[in-house]
Amino acid sequence: MKFFRPLANIRMSKSMLSLIGILFSLYILTGLLDPYNFSIPAIGNVFYLAAALGLLAAGQTICMLTGGIDLSLAMIATGAAFIVSVKSSSGLLVALSLALLYCIVIGAINGLAIGLLGMNPLIMTLGMNAVLIGVFTVGVTTFLQGSSTVPDLLVTLSTASIIDTSGWIFDSVSADPRSWPFFTSIIDILSWPFFVWVLISAIVLFLLAKTGLGRLIYAIGDNAQAAKLAGVRVWQVQVTTYVMCAILGGIGGILLGGQSGAVALSLANSFLLPSVAAVVIGGTSIMGGIGGYKGTMMGTLILTLLSSLLTTINSSEAVKQMIYGAIVLALAWTYAKISENA
Amino acid sequence: MAASTSLLNIQGLEKAYGPVTALKNANFQVAAGEIHALLGANGAGKSTLVKILTGVISGDSGTISLHGKEITFSSPDNARQNGIAPVFQDPALIPDISIQRNLALTSTNEKRFISEISAMGLAVNLNEIAANIELPLLRMIDLARALSHDPELLILDEITAALPIDLSEKVIAIMNAQKQKGKSVVFISHRLAEIEEICDRATVLRDGINVDTFVASQGSEERIVSAMLGDKNRGNSAVTNKGNSNSNNETFLQVKAISGGKHLKDLSFEVKKGEVLGVAALEGQGQDLLFEILAGQSKAESGEIFVNDKKAVFSHPSDAIGLGISFVPGDRKSALMPQRSIRENLALTRFRGISKWGVINSKDEQSRVDDAVASLQIDTRASSQVKRLSGGNQQKVTIGRWVTTGFDLLLCFDPTRGIDVGTKQQIYELLRGFADQGKSVLLFTSELREIQLVCDRAIVIYEGKVQASLAIEKCTEENLLNAAHGILVEK
Amino acid sequence: MNLIQLRRQSWNLAIILLAAILGFWRVSQLPQFGAYEARTFVLGILPIALLSMGQAIIIIGGGINLAIGAEAVLINCLSAKYMQDTSFTKSLLLAIVFIFVGVLIGALTGWIISVSKIADIVVTLATSFLLVGVAMFVMPQPGGGINQTLADLISGKVPNFIPPLICLILPLLLIWIPLYRSKMGVAMYAIGSSKDAAFLSGVNVNMTRIKLYAFGGLFAGLSGLVLTGITLSSSPFANISNTATLNSVAGAVLGGVALSGGVGGLVGPALAALVLYFIPTILLAYGIDPSYSQIITGALTIVVVLLGGLLRKRTVSK
Repeated sequence: MKFFRPLANIRMSKSMLSLIGILFSLYILTGLLDPYNFSIPAIGNVFYLAAALGLLAAGQTICMLTGGIDLSLAMIATGAAFIVSVKSSSGLLVALSLALLYCIVIGAINGLAIGLLGMNPLIMTLGMNAVLIGVFTVGVTTFLQGSSTVPDLLVTLSTASIIDTSGWIFDSVSADPRSWPFFTSIIDILSWPFFVWVLISAIVLFLLAKTGLGRLIYAIGDNAQAAKLAGVRVWQVQVTTYVMCAILGGIGGILLGGQSGAVALSLANSFLLPSVAAVVIGGTSIMGGIGGYKGTMMGTLILTLLSSLLTTINSSEAVKQMIYGAIVLALAWTYAKISENA
Repeated sequence: MAASTSLLNIQGLEKAYGPVTALKNANFQVAAGEIHALLGANGAGKSTLVKILTGVISGDSGTISLHGKEITFSSPDNARQNGIAPVFQDPALIPDISIQRNLALTSTNEKRFISEISAMGLAVNLNEIAANIELPLLRMIDLARALSHDPELLILDEITAALPIDLSEKVIAIMNAQKQKGKSVVFISHRLAEIEEICDRATVLRDGINVDTFVASQGSEERIVSAMLGDKNRGNSAVTNKGNSNSNNETFLQVKAISGGKHLKDLSFEVKKGEVLGVAALEGQGQDLLFEILAGQSKAESGEIFVNDKKAVFSHPSDAIGLGISFVPGDRKSALMPQRSIRENLALTRFRGISKWGVINSKDEQSRVDDAVASLQIDTRASSQVKRLSGGNQQKVTIGRWVTTGFDLLLCFDPTRGIDVGTKQQIYELLRGFADQGKSVLLFTSELREIQLVCDRAIVIYEGKVQASLAIEKCTEENLLNAAHGILVEK
Repeated sequence: MNLIQLRRQSWNLAIILLAAILGFWRVSQLPQFGAYEARTFVLGILPIALLSMGQAIIIIGGGINLAIGAEAVLINCLSAKYMQDTSFTKSLLLAIVFIFVGVLIGALTGWIISVSKIADIVVTLATSFLLVGVAMFVMPQPGGGINQTLADLISGKVPNFIPPLICLILPLLLIWIPLYRSKMGVAMYAIGSSKDAAFLSGVNVNMTRIKLYAFGGLFAGLSGLVLTGITLSSSPFANISNTATLNSVAGAVLGGVALSGGVGGLVGPALAALVLYFIPTILLAYGIDPSYSQIITGALTIVVVLLGGLLRKRTVSK
């Protein structure tokens, strides 16, 4: 068996390398502007902020790999957070289960319409988004009445470190790990959001790379016709895709809710377009069949860093938006050119 | 013969698509006021030549001269402006808009168009949307539109295929009228009888070269067929076709009275276990639909299919695959995932059931993939994305995936089209190997000589029915070609 | 001949019927119906009707512009900022300039899509970011103004409903109908219907696409300008542009434009804007939460696209 390193592989790693390069440059830039950013707590903060976007972008990645898109993801996320808050009086487990059910149902409806009825994903999810906004707006005053504050446990889970050091008591100061250099910093990085994101990222990466379902996701995105000829029931894969996307969005939304402390209907709105942008920047084609979550993770971090960078230099929301849009365009163009020459 | 002034002169035209050469030093001359037939088997380079002539693509090298002046056609519009008007088999009319607006798009004079259509004895409602008009009438509309621009050179690409007789005759009358006016026509058709009747000269292309140009007359059929076939002693085929080697005469597949689409009328045949059954037919006889039906991708309008004597109904390819019928389509693009690796393409079929969506046993998969790669001799150098592979390798991958999954009947639709000679040989050996193992192969090929190399027997489809069923010894190219044209062959 | 044209107009007729039914329903809710009420109707639909028409052109040509709402918002902000406290002539001049800016933005979008070969969804998603940013830059806070005479010319002095009606009909008459009849217009339908057949028929696909998005931008500019004339101010929020874009797609789709391209016209979307306007207004009058109307609009869009796709499959199944 010949084991040459094909030229293509090198090029693709080039894309990943350039992403890492961009990420690194951005990081250096933020640090130069404010040295605090070089500290470990600051890094931890980046992950803390990036987690929710990373989860939504994960869902979006899976959809886009199949050649689709989910523009209702923001409302799915917000809705899940909402349900958890409002139903928290019935117990956290119940609330979480209801939120999960909600995600599965909405995802299934999207998937069935797109897979079985042949609906255009853009229009279907756009319409679903409108429907969800309406349902929740109405629901706030009727069947979804309740507290809009997120239960305490979730707030803790969404914000604190996974290692709670508050109750630690030691005989002497030197024995207390908290006095050791870097210890508290590392604790800070290991915030729940970071942990959740890492855990889920591992699951998503494993799913896409090492399971039959993952292969099929790429397959129907690359050539659904070929998949059908190979005996694959494409609609089944699509339903599963949109359900998974919705669940990921739901988890992201709950995380967001915990971080905000309270849930408003606009909770995840500003995350929708960035979730698509992170995927595109990460090198996944909107046509499907190529790309993956690794790139999306890079894209998420890049966008998060970019966001804090712009905040640091006190640029207005306006400039932030303009630069956002310009960068997404520039990166997408670069990818188009790279794959053209390939 | 009429005028000796050359209208069109093509010299040394070359065109390659990657490793595949479509045109190799092709020459072609059309005089003014003549009807010139352009012939050649599938893949001989006809359509490439026409595409270059009509400005759709550009040639790699060579010259084209119009009235003695060298010219390059930059776009279809440019070609049209220079007096070249094509009428393709698939009319180039915009489906969702009306005929009137289609005419506006090409700046065709409406009044002139109406007079041309009336001269054909036809009536067209200009407000009708193109998609709602039947194909034969649509072709005539395309022709009328071409005529309305007073073309110097009319190119008719298989226009008479699937055209009712009365319209065919009208087309012939129009061609003669053009000739009278001193204009020329390039006529592409498989109907050899027509060619003898209508054309002044005929040019036969084979393997991208003009192999013969001669005056068409009575009895030219033989000359045409032999020109298309070429030298019969072509290379050493290392494949020894023992014919009927492992056939124990048990039937695997039975097809009864299948009809569907525009072409299939009443098709019946059977495939035995351990045999390679060849299928020969001219372009557009419905053979593609037949294969799609057997693969479970399309539904037949009527008729029945029996697998192992049990009636089979396919609603999805997975039904057919479940019964052991696998499909290698003619268009590699529809069978492969271009951006995915060889390994993923080979393994695709293993995941078709939900139960298989779980974790992949990587070692197991790798060994299966390695086996397939080895047994098919797939060149894995560009393994990361299948679109980078040569056509031959791609084809091996599409066949390879069925090897790993297992099958009883392999439907191969023109598997060696556009593939280099070496790989072709390998594929022939592969197919014979399957038969030796007791499996069946249904092979449609547009290269007729392959049939004797690979098959145990062959059927020929013409006008929606099985025109002939021939034993291997009778499967000479001549016989097959004649049968494909509807000419009876001694069994 | 009549039957064929009737068949093609059937979608429009259905929408007219629906709009009429809803219209009567709405009128029945009002204590009276006169010029004032008519003016309210027209003003209510004018911006979204124009935007839907712009989106319709683009979808007919086989594309989609997810930034069309942002384009309109930008023109709204630009015009409100610079037209504040100006004379009629100056405002009018500026109006023409900013509409032209809308055309330019559209053409640039079309150019990027053609040259970069990036999917239109991705490009217009990115430009929607960009344009909202520019709008926010131009107009950090809601505000601005417009010369009152010009505003009256657009929205009509109460209770005059003729000027806004003219603003709705004039673009149809002066822009759309000439475009539809021209070779350029047919070319747009052609590239939406079948790029290959269009190419073979001699159409320059890229040039046509640029012009396509330019015309979409023209209508977006008109929509933005009209918004300034009606509200006498501007608001640069992403929310507004996103909702506007959504509604423009809903309007186009309800108006009979097929997502696959090559099918439909602009009269349908203009009428569909009426439907999109009446539903929430009617519900509101019953005291029903306006959010229900959003649910209905969303569900309606989905059902309409579904039905449209199924119906088209039947008629073209030859």
